[in-house]
Amino acid sequence: MLSVISYPVFGISIILSLVLSISLFPLGWFEFRPEWLGLMVFYWTFRAPAQFGILLAWCLGLLLDVLEATPLGVNAMAMGLVAFLVLTIHQRLRMFPMPQQCLMVFLLLGINQMLVHFIKQVLGADNAGFGYLWPALTSAVVWPFICVLLDNLNRKLG
Amino acid sequence: MQGPIPGFRLFLVIVLSIALVVLDARFGKLDTVRSSLGTSLSPVVWLGSVPDELTTWVKSLFITRDDLQAENETLQARLLILERRALKYAALSAENSRLRELLNASGVLDDRVIVAEIVGVSPDPFSHEVIINKGSRDGVQVGQAILDAFGLMGQVLSTSSFTSRVLLISDSSHAVPVEVNRNGLRAILLGNGDINNLELVHVPDTADIREGDMLVSSGLGGRFPKGYPVAEVASIEKEPGEQFIRISAKPRAHLSRSQMVLIVFQANVERREERLNDNLSDSDTDIDAVGSP
Repeated sequence: MLSVISYPVFGISIILSLVLSISLFPLGWFEFRPEWLGLMVFYWTFRAPAQFGILLAWCLGLLLDVLEATPLGVNAMAMGLVAFLVLTIHQRLRMFPMPQQCLMVFLLLGINQMLVHFIKQVLGADNAGFGYLWPALTSAVVWPFICVLLDNLNRKLG
Repeated sequence: MQGPIPGFRLFLVIVLSIALVVLDARFGKLDTVRSSLGTSLSPVVWLGSVPDELTTWVKSLFITRDDLQAENETLQARLLILERRALKYAALSAENSRLRELLNASGVLDDRVIVAEIVGVSPDPFSHEVIINKGSRDGVQVGQAILDAFGLMGQVLSTSSFTSRVLLISDSSHAVPVEVNRNGLRAILLGNGDINNLELVHVPDTADIREGDMLVSSGLGGRFPKGYPVAEVASIEKEPGEQFIRISAKPRAHLSRSQMVLIVFQANVERREERLNDNLSDSDTDIDAVGSP
């Protein structure tokens, strides 16, 4: 847990993650795009569990639903679930070395993606195999950089 | 410090989400909420297109006068060619409408179009959707056809005030009624999630169709305007035991590269619907007139 968090950094990181999740990305690499908003929910619930909780994560997921044109509530539920899981494990998570944290990022965002695709399939989407887990993997890969960057920003500006 | 509350909050959130999903997916009650949220998110969409616009701007800064002149010359040459074609087209369309009058067929009106720009793509890699920078404020409505310079791209799926979402013809949930330009053979063109490949289904194995045939929209179904090129037949596989042949087609529109698109406003379809409604209301009044005495 950080002693101070900077609200401007929080706002800008959220807006940036929303922009990154729709901005033009090389088309062949599309399915490897990290789940930016999921990473942000993970980071802010992990670092500031007192301020950032399930309800805020749910609202952010709702925005992602609008951007992705999925039925309202699908991503919202998955984001709320990620925030809940991070809240339950955040004290252990702080003790973990970085590789283990990456593994947790992969697991939680994988659960997020699985839930989203499960609901989509219930609503009638195609079965896409396990390809939907790529974003969780790339998110785990970029997690150390995001974490260090946001920690530094929080320390400087908080 | 969060004690037993997280579990309760999670429960609340899940119940809320399920309610929203059911309302949205089963009953479609939340279109206004989605539209207003989308309007408030349009700055995000705009920011998403900024890097792209910035690179084109920087590129335009470092362009030399010679390049511009050369481009100008090629454009003027092209303009001449197109103008000549347009002259011929005007004569042809006049002749066409005369012939149609002779046949007592309804006249064909020119479709009105407006130009829009693609400002974003859907974050979901399993759906082929793009976001364009014209919305309900510009008169865009759900169901309108989208073209680029080469052919049909897709249709408007939803609108907010400043942006709309377009479903591309390559999405696996999309289908276009088409006909073969050479002989008018009708078929349905399905997207299959591959941006360079479409599927022509239910064509019997005796049908007259060849590789390289142009598929144009047939206008059946009333959603897409008639006569716009959609795809070109790329390969045909005949299997002796099967009832239908397997045909794959390559979309004519540059689905993954186009930046500028055209939104088609179909004047004649609206008019036809109006006429239909008029007829219906007329028959209603007739019934009333008969019923009242």
